[in-house]
Amino acid sequence: MSVLGALGEGIMVTVVGLCIVFAVLVILMFVLMLMKKIFYKETKVETTQETEQKVQPVFEEDDEISEHELIAVLTAAIAASLNTSTYNLKIKSYKRISSNAPAWNRAGITETINSRY
Amino acid sequence: MIENMKTAAASGNFLQVVGTPLMIIIACVLLYLAIVKKFEPLLLLPIAFGMLLSNLPIFKDSSAIMMHTEYFTDPQYMLDGKYIDVAYICAHGGLLDLLYLGVKLGIYPPLIFLGIGAMTDFGPLIANPKSILLGAAAQLGVFTTFLGALFLGALFPDSIGFGVKEASSIGIIGGADGPTAIYVTKTLAPALLPAIAIAAYSYMALIPVIQPPLMKMMTTKKERQVVMEQLRPVSRTEKIVFPIVVTIVVALIVPDAIALVGMLMLGNLMRETGIVDRLSKTAQNGLMNVITIFLGLTVGATATAESFLSGRTLGIIALGLLAFCFSTIGGLLFGKIMCKLTGGKVNPLIGSAGVSAVPMAARVSQVVGQKENPSNFLLMHAMGPNVAGVIGSAVAAGVFLSMFAK
Repeated sequence: MSVLGALGEGIMVTVVGLCIVFAVLVILMFVLMLMKKIFYKETKVETTQETEQKVQPVFEEDDEISEHELIAVLTAAIAASLNTSTYNLKIKSYKRISSNAPAWNRAGITETINSRY
Repeated sequence: MIENMKTAAASGNFLQVVGTPLMIIIACVLLYLAIVKKFEPLLLLPIAFGMLLSNLPIFKDSSAIMMHTEYFTDPQYMLDGKYIDVAYICAHGGLLDLLYLGVKLGIYPPLIFLGIGAMTDFGPLIANPKSILLGAAAQLGVFTTFLGALFLGALFPDSIGFGVKEASSIGIIGGADGPTAIYVTKTLAPALLPAIAIAAYSYMALIPVIQPPLMKMMTTKKERQVVMEQLRPVSRTEKIVFPIVVTIVVALIVPDAIALVGMLMLGNLMRETGIVDRLSKTAQNGLMNVITIFLGLTVGATATAESFLSGRTLGIIALGLLAFCFSTIGGLLFGKIMCKLTGGKVNPLIGSAGVSAVPMAARVSQVVGQKENPSNFLLMHAMGPNVAGVIGSAVAAGVFLSMFAK
Protein backbone atom coordinates (compact mmCIF):
# COMPACT_ATOMS: atom_id res chain seq x y z
CA MET A 1 0.00 0.00 0.00
CA SER A 2 1.39 3.43 -0.87
CA VAL A 3 1.89 5.97 1.87
CA LEU A 4 -0.77 8.26 0.46
CA GLY A 5 -3.24 5.43 -0.03
CA ALA A 6 -2.71 4.26 3.54
CA LEU A 7 -3.16 7.76 4.90
CA GLY A 8 -6.27 8.34 2.81
CA GLU A 9 -7.92 5.20 4.12
CA GLY A 10 -6.72 5.94 7.63
CA ILE A 11 -8.16 9.44 7.64
CA MET A 12 -11.51 8.13 6.45
CA VAL A 13 -11.58 5.52 9.22
CA THR A 14 -10.54 8.18 11.74
CA VAL A 15 -13.30 10.58 10.76
CA VAL A 16 -15.97 7.89 10.68
CA GLY A 17 -14.71 6.35 13.92
CA LEU A 18 -14.55 9.59 15.87
CA CYS A 19 -18.00 10.53 14.61
CA ILE A 20 -19.47 7.24 15.80
CA VAL A 21 -17.78 7.51 19.20
CA PHE A 22 -19.05 11.05 19.64
CA ALA A 23 -22.51 10.13 18.35
CA VAL A 24 -22.88 7.30 20.87
CA LEU A 25 -21.71 9.41 23.79
CA VAL A 26 -23.75 12.47 22.75
CA ILE A 27 -26.83 10.27 22.62
CA LEU A 28 -25.97 8.94 26.05
CA MET A 29 -25.56 12.51 27.27
CA PHE A 30 -29.08 13.39 26.11
CA VAL A 31 -30.40 10.19 27.69
CA LEU A 32 -28.76 11.20 30.96
CA MET A 33 -30.28 14.67 30.74
CA LEU A 34 -33.65 13.12 30.09
CA MET A 35 -33.14 10.83 33.07
CA LYS A 36 -32.48 13.85 35.22
CA LYS A 37 -35.79 15.35 34.07
CA ILE A 38 -37.70 12.16 34.84
CA PHE A 39 -36.14 10.81 37.98
CA TYR A 40 -34.49 13.70 39.76
CA LYS A 41 -36.62 15.93 41.87
CA GLU A 42 -34.90 18.68 43.73
CA THR A 43 -35.94 17.51 47.14
CA LYS A 44 -35.06 20.41 49.28
CA VAL A 45 -37.44 19.41 52.02
CA GLU A 46 -36.24 20.89 55.24
CA THR A 47 -35.79 17.80 57.33
CA THR A 48 -33.00 19.46 59.14
CA GLN A 49 -31.62 17.42 61.91
CA GLU A 50 -30.15 19.70 64.41
CA THR A 51 -26.92 18.09 65.20
CA GLU A 52 -24.34 19.62 67.33
CA GLN A 53 -20.99 18.10 67.46
CA LYS A 54 -17.78 18.96 68.98
CA VAL A 55 -15.34 18.84 66.17
CA GLN A 56 -11.75 18.12 66.61
CA PRO A 57 -9.70 19.47 63.74
CA VAL A 58 -6.48 17.56 63.45
CA PHE A 59 -4.43 20.09 61.59
CA GLU A 60 -3.39 23.60 62.24
CA GLU A 61 -5.56 25.66 59.97
CA ASP A 62 -4.60 28.76 58.14
CA ASP A 63 -6.35 31.76 59.53
CA GLU A 64 -7.08 32.71 55.97
CA ILE A 65 -9.37 29.74 55.32
CA SER A 66 -12.70 31.38 55.13
CA GLU A 67 -15.36 30.44 57.60
CA HIS A 68 -17.68 29.24 54.82
CA GLU A 69 -15.16 26.73 53.64
CA LEU A 70 -14.53 25.45 57.12
CA ILE A 71 -18.23 25.00 57.72
CA ALA A 72 -18.56 23.18 54.42
CA VAL A 73 -15.79 20.81 55.41
CA LEU A 74 -17.29 20.22 58.85
CA THR A 75 -20.73 19.58 57.35
CA ALA A 76 -19.28 17.09 54.90
CA ALA A 77 -17.34 15.31 57.62
CA ILE A 78 -20.36 15.04 59.89
CA ALA A 79 -22.56 13.92 57.00
CA ALA A 80 -20.07 11.20 56.14
CA SER A 81 -19.80 9.97 59.70
CA LEU A 82 -23.57 10.01 60.24
CA ASN A 83 -24.18 8.42 56.86
CA THR A 84 -26.60 11.10 55.74
CA SER A 85 -26.71 13.89 53.20
CA THR A 86 -25.33 17.33 53.83
CA TYR A 87 -28.79 18.63 53.00
CA ASN A 88 -30.08 17.27 56.32
CA LEU A 89 -27.56 19.05 58.44
CA LYS A 90 -27.24 22.54 59.69
CA ILE A 91 -24.18 23.60 61.56
CA LYS A 92 -25.17 26.01 64.25
CA SER A 93 -21.88 26.46 65.95
CA TYR A 94 -18.52 24.89 66.17
CA LYS A 95 -15.87 25.06 68.74
CA ARG A 96 -12.33 23.95 68.57
CA ILE A 97 -11.19 21.53 71.21
CA SER A 98 -7.53 21.01 71.66
CA SER A 99 -6.09 17.89 70.18
CA ASN A 100 -4.93 15.33 72.69
CA ALA A 101 -3.01 13.27 70.16
CA PRO A 102 0.76 13.36 70.57
CA ALA A 103 2.66 15.50 68.11
CA TRP A 104 4.25 12.43 66.54
CA ASN A 105 0.85 10.92 65.78
CA ARG A 106 -0.24 14.12 64.12
CA ALA A 107 2.92 14.30 62.05
CA GLY A 108 2.37 10.67 61.04
CA ILE A 109 -1.17 11.35 59.89
CA THR A 110 -0.06 14.34 57.84
CA GLU A 111 2.63 12.31 56.21
CA THR A 112 0.30 9.44 55.38
CA ILE A 113 -2.18 11.79 53.75
CA ASN A 114 0.52 13.56 51.78
CA SER A 115 2.10 10.36 50.56
CA ARG A 116 -1.09 9.21 48.89
CA TYR A 117 -2.48 10.64 45.75
CA MET B 1 22.19 -35.53 27.70
CA ILE B 2 24.93 -33.10 26.72
CA GLU B 3 25.43 -34.97 23.45
CA ASN B 4 21.75 -34.59 22.80
CA MET B 5 21.92 -30.90 23.41
CA LYS B 6 24.91 -30.50 21.14
CA THR B 7 23.25 -32.25 18.23
CA ALA B 8 20.11 -30.27 18.86
CA ALA B 9 21.99 -26.99 18.87
CA ALA B 10 23.90 -27.96 15.76
CA SER B 11 20.75 -28.77 13.84
CA GLY B 12 19.10 -25.56 15.05
CA ASN B 13 16.62 -27.70 16.87
CA PHE B 14 16.70 -25.70 20.07
CA LEU B 15 13.59 -23.73 20.53
CA GLN B 16 14.66 -20.17 19.80
CA VAL B 17 18.38 -20.58 20.22
CA VAL B 18 19.37 -16.93 20.19
CA GLY B 19 16.16 -15.26 21.32
CA THR B 20 15.62 -17.36 24.39
CA PRO B 21 18.25 -15.84 26.71
CA LEU B 22 17.24 -12.36 25.60
CA MET B 23 13.57 -13.07 26.31
CA ILE B 24 14.44 -14.45 29.73
CA ILE B 25 16.32 -11.24 30.46
CA ILE B 26 13.37 -9.13 29.31
CA ALA B 27 11.04 -11.20 31.50
CA CYS B 28 13.32 -10.64 34.46
CA VAL B 29 13.45 -6.89 33.81
CA LEU B 30 9.65 -6.81 33.75
CA LEU B 31 9.56 -8.84 36.97
CA TYR B 32 11.92 -6.26 38.48
CA LEU B 33 9.67 -3.41 37.37
CA ALA B 34 6.65 -5.17 38.84
CA ILE B 35 8.21 -6.22 42.14
CA VAL B 36 10.58 -3.37 42.97
CA LYS B 37 9.09 -0.44 41.08
CA LYS B 38 5.49 -1.63 41.57
CA PHE B 39 4.38 -0.80 37.99
CA GLU B 40 0.85 -2.28 37.84
CA PRO B 41 2.18 -5.34 39.69
CA LEU B 42 -1.19 -7.11 39.58
CA LEU B 43 -0.79 -7.54 35.85
CA LEU B 44 2.85 -7.09 35.12
CA LEU B 45 3.90 -9.87 37.49
CA PRO B 46 1.81 -12.60 35.83
CA ILE B 47 2.65 -11.22 32.38
CA ALA B 48 6.37 -11.30 33.06
CA PHE B 49 6.21 -14.78 34.54
CA GLY B 50 4.17 -16.05 31.63
CA MET B 51 6.86 -14.69 29.37
CA LEU B 52 9.46 -16.57 31.35
CA LEU B 53 7.47 -19.82 31.19
CA SER B 54 7.05 -19.79 27.44
CA ASN B 55 10.71 -18.95 26.76
CA LEU B 56 12.38 -21.63 28.85
CA PRO B 57 15.07 -23.51 26.96
CA ILE B 58 13.17 -26.71 26.20
CA PHE B 59 13.63 -29.02 23.23
CA LYS B 60 11.37 -28.45 20.30
CA ASP B 61 8.38 -30.82 20.27
CA SER B 62 8.92 -31.65 23.93
CA SER B 63 5.69 -32.44 25.71
CA ALA B 64 6.80 -30.12 28.52
CA ILE B 65 6.23 -27.00 26.43
CA MET B 66 3.32 -25.14 27.98
CA MET B 67 2.55 -22.68 25.23
CA HIS B 68 2.42 -23.25 21.48
CA THR B 69 1.75 -19.88 19.88
CA GLU B 70 1.81 -21.54 16.46
CA TYR B 71 -1.47 -23.33 17.24
CA PHE B 72 -3.15 -19.94 17.33
CA THR B 73 -1.40 -18.13 14.51
CA ASP B 74 -0.01 -20.69 12.04
CA PRO B 75 -2.63 -21.62 9.40
CA GLN B 76 -1.07 -25.08 9.23
CA TYR B 77 -2.61 -25.94 12.61
CA MET B 78 -5.95 -24.30 11.96
CA LEU B 79 -9.22 -25.51 10.54
CA ASP B 80 -9.50 -24.32 6.92
CA GLY B 81 -6.40 -22.25 7.70
CA LYS B 82 -8.61 -19.70 9.46
CA TYR B 83 -10.19 -20.96 12.66
CA ILE B 84 -8.33 -22.31 15.66
CA ASP B 85 -8.70 -26.04 16.11
CA VAL B 86 -9.89 -26.36 19.70
CA ALA B 87 -9.91 -30.17 19.64
CA TYR B 88 -6.29 -30.27 18.46
CA ILE B 89 -5.26 -27.75 21.11
CA CYS B 90 -6.99 -29.76 23.82
CA ALA B 91 -5.23 -32.90 22.69
CA HIS B 92 -1.73 -31.51 22.21
CA GLY B 93 -1.58 -28.21 24.07
CA GLY B 94 0.07 -27.44 27.39
CA LEU B 95 -1.47 -25.68 30.37
CA LEU B 96 -0.98 -22.21 28.99
CA ASP B 97 -2.46 -23.18 25.62
CA LEU B 98 -5.63 -24.24 27.37
CA LEU B 99 -5.79 -21.08 29.46
CA TYR B 100 -5.05 -18.97 26.39
CA LEU B 101 -8.23 -20.27 24.80
CA GLY B 102 -10.01 -17.88 27.16
CA VAL B 103 -8.24 -14.96 25.52
CA LYS B 104 -8.53 -16.27 21.99
CA LEU B 105 -12.22 -17.02 22.33
CA GLY B 106 -12.80 -13.58 23.83
CA ILE B 107 -13.88 -14.77 27.28
CA TYR B 108 -11.52 -13.03 29.69
CA PRO B 109 -11.73 -9.35 28.68
CA PRO B 110 -15.54 -9.16 29.00
CA LEU B 111 -15.34 -10.92 32.37
CA ILE B 112 -12.78 -8.37 33.53
CA PHE B 113 -15.25 -5.71 32.40
CA LEU B 114 -17.89 -7.37 34.55
CA GLY B 115 -15.64 -6.84 37.54
CA ILE B 116 -14.79 -3.27 36.54
CA GLY B 117 -18.51 -2.54 36.22
CA ALA B 118 -19.12 -3.91 39.69
CA MET B 119 -16.39 -1.64 41.03
CA THR B 120 -17.35 1.54 39.18
CA ASP B 121 -19.64 4.23 40.48
CA PHE B 122 -21.21 6.02 37.53
CA GLY B 123 -22.74 8.60 39.89
CA PRO B 124 -20.39 11.49 38.96
CA LEU B 125 -21.14 10.89 35.30
CA ILE B 126 -24.91 10.78 35.84
CA ALA B 127 -24.71 13.97 37.89
CA ASN B 128 -22.81 15.80 35.15
CA PRO B 129 -23.84 14.35 31.76
CA LYS B 130 -21.71 16.83 29.81
CA SER B 131 -18.56 15.24 31.15
CA ILE B 132 -19.31 12.18 29.00
CA LEU B 133 -18.10 14.22 26.01
CA LEU B 134 -14.63 14.41 27.52
CA GLY B 135 -14.56 10.63 27.49
CA ALA B 136 -15.23 10.77 23.76
CA ALA B 137 -12.65 13.49 23.11
CA ALA B 138 -9.97 11.44 24.81
CA GLN B 139 -10.39 8.78 22.12
CA LEU B 140 -8.53 11.18 19.82
CA GLY B 141 -5.32 9.35 20.70
CA VAL B 142 -6.80 6.05 19.51
CA PHE B 143 -7.42 7.38 16.04
CA THR B 144 -4.28 9.52 15.71
CA THR B 145 -2.20 6.50 16.65
CA PHE B 146 -4.16 4.41 14.18
CA LEU B 147 -3.09 6.90 11.53
CA GLY B 148 0.46 6.95 12.85
CA ALA B 149 0.70 3.16 12.74
CA LEU B 150 -0.66 3.03 9.18
CA PHE B 151 1.84 5.68 8.15
CA LEU B 152 4.72 3.81 9.76
CA GLY B 153 3.52 0.56 8.18
CA ALA B 154 3.39 2.14 4.72
CA LEU B 155 6.79 3.74 5.22
CA PHE B 156 8.50 0.45 6.13
CA PRO B 157 6.33 -2.16 4.40
CA ASP B 158 8.93 -4.93 4.81
CA SER B 159 10.22 -4.60 8.34
CA ILE B 160 7.08 -3.27 10.07
CA GLY B 161 4.24 -3.48 7.59
CA PHE B 162 1.31 -2.58 9.83
CA GLY B 163 -1.98 -2.92 7.95
CA VAL B 164 -5.33 -1.55 9.08
CA LYS B 165 -5.88 -4.45 11.48
CA GLU B 166 -2.55 -4.03 13.21
CA ALA B 167 -2.98 -0.25 13.24
CA SER B 168 -6.39 -0.55 14.93
CA SER B 169 -4.95 -2.80 17.60
CA ILE B 170 -2.10 -0.39 18.26
CA GLY B 171 -4.38 2.63 18.23
CA ILE B 172 -6.64 1.16 20.87
CA ILE B 173 -3.71 1.35 23.32
CA GLY B 174 -4.68 5.04 23.48
CA GLY B 175 -7.93 4.03 25.14
CA ALA B 176 -5.75 3.22 28.16
CA ASP B 177 -7.88 0.20 28.77
CA GLY B 178 -6.09 -3.15 29.00
CA PRO B 179 -9.00 -5.55 28.47
CA THR B 180 -10.31 -3.55 25.50
CA ALA B 181 -6.87 -3.52 23.89
CA ILE B 182 -6.58 -7.28 24.37
CA TYR B 183 -10.08 -7.91 23.06
CA VAL B 184 -9.40 -5.99 19.84
CA THR B 185 -5.92 -7.37 19.34
CA LYS B 186 -6.80 -11.03 19.81
CA THR B 187 -9.29 -10.66 16.98
CA LEU B 188 -7.46 -8.36 14.60
CA ALA B 189 -3.75 -8.94 15.15
CA PRO B 190 -3.09 -11.88 17.49
CA ALA B 191 0.63 -11.87 16.71
CA LEU B 192 1.00 -8.43 18.29
CA LEU B 193 -0.90 -9.33 21.47
CA PRO B 194 2.01 -9.51 23.93
CA ALA B 195 3.66 -6.30 22.75
CA ILE B 196 0.38 -4.38 22.81
CA ALA B 197 -0.70 -5.71 26.19
CA ILE B 198 2.67 -4.93 27.73
CA ALA B 199 2.75 -1.46 26.18
CA ALA B 200 -0.81 -0.70 27.33
CA TYR B 201 -0.28 -1.82 30.91
CA SER B 202 3.16 -0.23 31.24
CA TYR B 203 1.95 3.14 30.03
CA MET B 204 -1.10 2.91 32.29
CA ALA B 205 1.28 2.52 35.20
CA LEU B 206 3.19 5.54 33.93
CA ILE B 207 0.15 7.83 33.69
CA PRO B 208 1.23 9.90 36.72
CA VAL B 209 4.48 10.56 34.86
CA ILE B 210 3.12 11.05 31.32
CA GLN B 211 0.13 13.27 32.00
CA PRO B 212 1.16 16.15 34.32
CA PRO B 213 3.66 17.83 31.94
CA LEU B 214 1.11 17.74 29.12
CA MET B 215 -1.55 19.11 31.45
CA LYS B 216 0.66 22.01 32.45
CA MET B 217 1.63 22.66 28.84
CA MET B 218 -1.92 22.71 27.53
CA THR B 219 -3.64 24.80 30.20
CA THR B 220 -3.09 28.22 31.72
CA LYS B 221 -2.61 28.73 35.42
CA LYS B 222 -5.97 30.45 35.64
CA GLU B 223 -7.74 27.53 33.99
CA ARG B 224 -6.13 25.05 36.36
CA GLN B 225 -7.42 27.03 39.31
CA VAL B 226 -11.07 26.84 38.29
CA VAL B 227 -13.19 25.49 41.10
CA MET B 228 -16.16 23.47 39.93
CA GLU B 229 -19.64 23.40 41.36
CA GLN B 230 -20.62 20.65 43.75
CA LEU B 231 -22.21 17.69 41.95
CA ARG B 232 -25.86 17.02 42.62
CA PRO B 233 -26.78 13.87 44.52
CA VAL B 234 -27.84 11.01 42.26
CA SER B 235 -30.81 8.84 43.15
CA ARG B 236 -30.74 5.06 43.24
CA THR B 237 -33.30 4.87 40.43
CA GLU B 238 -31.02 6.82 38.12
CA LYS B 239 -28.08 4.60 38.96
CA ILE B 240 -30.13 1.49 38.18
CA VAL B 241 -31.67 2.79 34.96
CA PHE B 242 -28.31 4.02 33.65
CA PRO B 243 -26.68 0.61 32.91
CA ILE B 244 -29.82 -0.70 31.26
CA VAL B 245 -30.18 2.34 29.00
CA VAL B 246 -26.49 2.41 28.07
CA THR B 247 -26.62 -1.26 27.06
CA ILE B 248 -29.59 -0.67 24.79
CA VAL B 249 -28.18 2.50 23.20
CA VAL B 250 -24.74 1.01 22.55
CA ALA B 251 -26.24 -2.21 21.16
CA LEU B 252 -28.32 -0.21 18.70
CA ILE B 253 -25.38 1.76 17.32
CA VAL B 254 -22.21 -0.33 17.79
CA PRO B 255 -23.28 -3.96 18.30
CA ASP B 256 -19.66 -5.10 18.22
CA ALA B 257 -18.95 -3.26 21.45
CA ILE B 258 -21.69 -5.03 23.32
CA ALA B 259 -19.60 -7.92 24.64
CA LEU B 260 -17.56 -5.37 26.57
CA VAL B 261 -20.15 -2.71 27.36
CA GLY B 262 -22.87 -5.26 28.13
CA MET B 263 -20.74 -7.01 30.73
CA LEU B 264 -19.57 -3.69 32.16
CA MET B 265 -23.16 -2.63 32.63
CA LEU B 266 -24.24 -6.00 34.04
CA GLY B 267 -21.52 -5.66 36.66
CA ASN B 268 -22.66 -2.14 37.43
CA LEU B 269 -26.30 -3.18 37.67
CA MET B 270 -25.36 -5.92 40.14
CA ARG B 271 -23.61 -3.27 42.19
CA GLU B 272 -26.27 -0.61 42.11
CA THR B 273 -29.34 -2.75 42.71
CA GLY B 274 -27.83 -4.01 45.94
CA ILE B 275 -30.00 -7.11 45.81
CA VAL B 276 -27.25 -9.42 44.57
CA ASP B 277 -24.53 -8.35 46.89
CA ARG B 278 -22.85 -11.76 46.76
CA LEU B 279 -22.61 -11.75 42.98
CA SER B 280 -21.35 -8.20 42.94
CA LYS B 281 -18.67 -8.97 45.54
CA THR B 282 -17.59 -12.07 43.63
CA ALA B 283 -17.39 -10.16 40.36
CA GLN B 284 -15.19 -7.45 41.82
CA ASN B 285 -12.98 -9.68 43.93
CA GLY B 286 -12.77 -13.43 43.34
CA LEU B 287 -13.72 -13.62 39.69
CA MET B 288 -11.73 -10.53 38.77
CA ASN B 289 -8.60 -11.87 40.45
CA VAL B 290 -8.89 -15.30 38.85
CA ILE B 291 -9.31 -13.81 35.40
CA THR B 292 -6.48 -11.36 35.98
CA ILE B 293 -4.12 -14.24 36.70
CA PHE B 294 -5.22 -16.21 33.63
CA LEU B 295 -5.14 -13.18 31.39
CA GLY B 296 -1.77 -11.88 32.53
CA LEU B 297 -0.10 -15.27 32.45
CA THR B 298 -1.30 -16.25 29.00
CA VAL B 299 -0.77 -12.85 27.41
CA GLY B 300 2.78 -12.93 28.70
CA ALA B 301 3.18 -16.47 27.43
CA THR B 302 2.41 -15.43 23.86
CA ALA B 303 5.59 -13.34 23.92
CA THR B 304 7.87 -15.91 22.36
CA ALA B 305 11.15 -14.77 20.88
CA GLU B 306 9.98 -15.03 17.24
CA SER B 307 6.93 -12.90 17.79
CA PHE B 308 8.30 -10.41 20.30
CA LEU B 309 11.85 -9.64 19.17
CA SER B 310 11.21 -7.53 16.10
CA GLY B 311 11.09 -3.97 14.88
CA ARG B 312 7.33 -4.16 15.25
CA THR B 313 7.58 -4.33 19.03
CA LEU B 314 9.70 -1.18 19.12
CA GLY B 315 7.19 0.51 16.82
CA ILE B 316 4.34 -0.49 19.12
CA ILE B 317 6.11 0.83 22.21
CA ALA B 318 6.77 4.19 20.53
CA LEU B 319 3.25 4.42 19.10
CA GLY B 320 1.75 3.46 22.46
CA LEU B 321 3.34 6.47 24.10
CA LEU B 322 2.07 8.65 21.27
CA ALA B 323 -1.41 7.21 21.83
CA PHE B 324 -1.42 8.11 25.51
CA CYS B 325 -0.14 11.62 24.83
CA PHE B 326 -2.72 12.34 22.14
CA SER B 327 -5.57 10.95 24.24
CA THR B 328 -4.55 13.25 27.07
CA ILE B 329 -4.27 16.21 24.68
CA GLY B 330 -7.65 15.42 23.10
CA GLY B 331 -9.33 15.41 26.50
CA LEU B 332 -7.59 18.61 27.59
CA LEU B 333 -8.46 20.44 24.36
CA PHE B 334 -12.11 19.53 24.73
CA GLY B 335 -11.92 20.52 28.38
CA LYS B 336 -10.66 23.93 27.33
CA ILE B 337 -13.51 24.29 24.84
CA MET B 338 -16.02 23.38 27.55
CA CYS B 339 -14.32 25.83 29.89
CA LYS B 340 -14.76 28.63 27.32
CA LEU B 341 -18.34 27.71 26.48
CA THR B 342 -19.49 27.52 30.08
CA GLY B 343 -17.77 30.78 30.93
CA GLY B 344 -15.12 29.19 33.12
CA LYS B 345 -17.23 26.73 35.06
CA VAL B 346 -15.35 23.64 33.89
CA ASN B 347 -11.77 23.01 34.89
CA PRO B 348 -10.03 21.70 31.74
CA LEU B 349 -7.84 19.46 33.89
CA ILE B 350 -10.70 16.98 34.19
CA GLY B 351 -10.40 16.45 30.42
CA SER B 352 -7.21 14.48 30.76
CA ALA B 353 -9.13 12.00 32.92
CA GLY B 354 -11.04 11.04 29.79
CA VAL B 355 -8.43 8.36 29.16
CA SER B 356 -10.04 5.45 30.84
CA ALA B 357 -7.34 4.31 33.27
CA VAL B 358 -9.68 4.27 36.27
CA PRO B 359 -9.04 5.81 38.77
CA MET B 360 -5.45 6.77 38.08
CA ALA B 361 -6.17 9.44 35.48
CA ALA B 362 -8.77 11.06 37.76
CA ARG B 363 -6.30 11.11 40.62
CA VAL B 364 -3.75 12.83 38.42
CA SER B 365 -6.31 15.55 37.62
CA GLN B 366 -6.96 15.94 41.33
CA VAL B 367 -3.27 16.21 42.21
CA VAL B 368 -2.39 18.65 39.43
CA GLY B 369 -5.45 20.78 40.24
CA GLN B 370 -4.66 20.83 43.93
CA LYS B 371 -1.13 22.01 43.27
CA GLU B 372 -2.52 25.22 41.79
CA ASN B 373 -5.30 25.66 44.28
CA PRO B 374 -4.99 23.64 47.48
CA SER B 375 -8.69 23.97 48.29
CA ASN B 376 -9.78 22.54 44.95
CA PHE B 377 -11.22 19.02 44.81
CA LEU B 378 -11.50 17.79 41.25
CA LEU B 379 -11.51 14.06 41.98
CA MET B 380 -15.26 13.45 41.72
CA HIS B 381 -15.56 15.78 38.72
CA ALA B 382 -12.75 13.90 37.03
CA MET B 383 -14.38 10.53 37.72
CA GLY B 384 -17.17 11.46 35.29
CA PRO B 385 -14.93 11.70 32.20
CA ASN B 386 -12.89 8.82 33.58
CA VAL B 387 -15.74 6.31 33.54
CA ALA B 388 -17.04 7.83 30.31
CA GLY B 389 -13.62 7.01 28.88
CA VAL B 390 -14.23 3.32 29.61
CA ILE B 391 -17.44 3.44 27.59
CA GLY B 392 -15.75 5.56 24.90
CA SER B 393 -12.84 3.22 24.38
CA ALA B 394 -15.15 0.20 24.28
CA VAL B 395 -17.17 1.97 21.58
CA ALA B 396 -13.98 2.80 19.66
CA ALA B 397 -13.05 -0.88 19.93
CA GLY B 398 -16.46 -1.80 18.58
CA VAL B 399 -15.95 0.56 15.65
CA PHE B 400 -12.66 -1.09 14.71
CA LEU B 401 -14.09 -4.58 15.14
CA SER B 402 -17.12 -3.83 13.00
CA MET B 403 -14.91 -2.36 10.26
CA PHE B 404 -12.07 -4.86 10.14
CA ALA B 405 -13.05 -8.16 11.78
CA LYS B 406 -14.48 -10.67 9.38
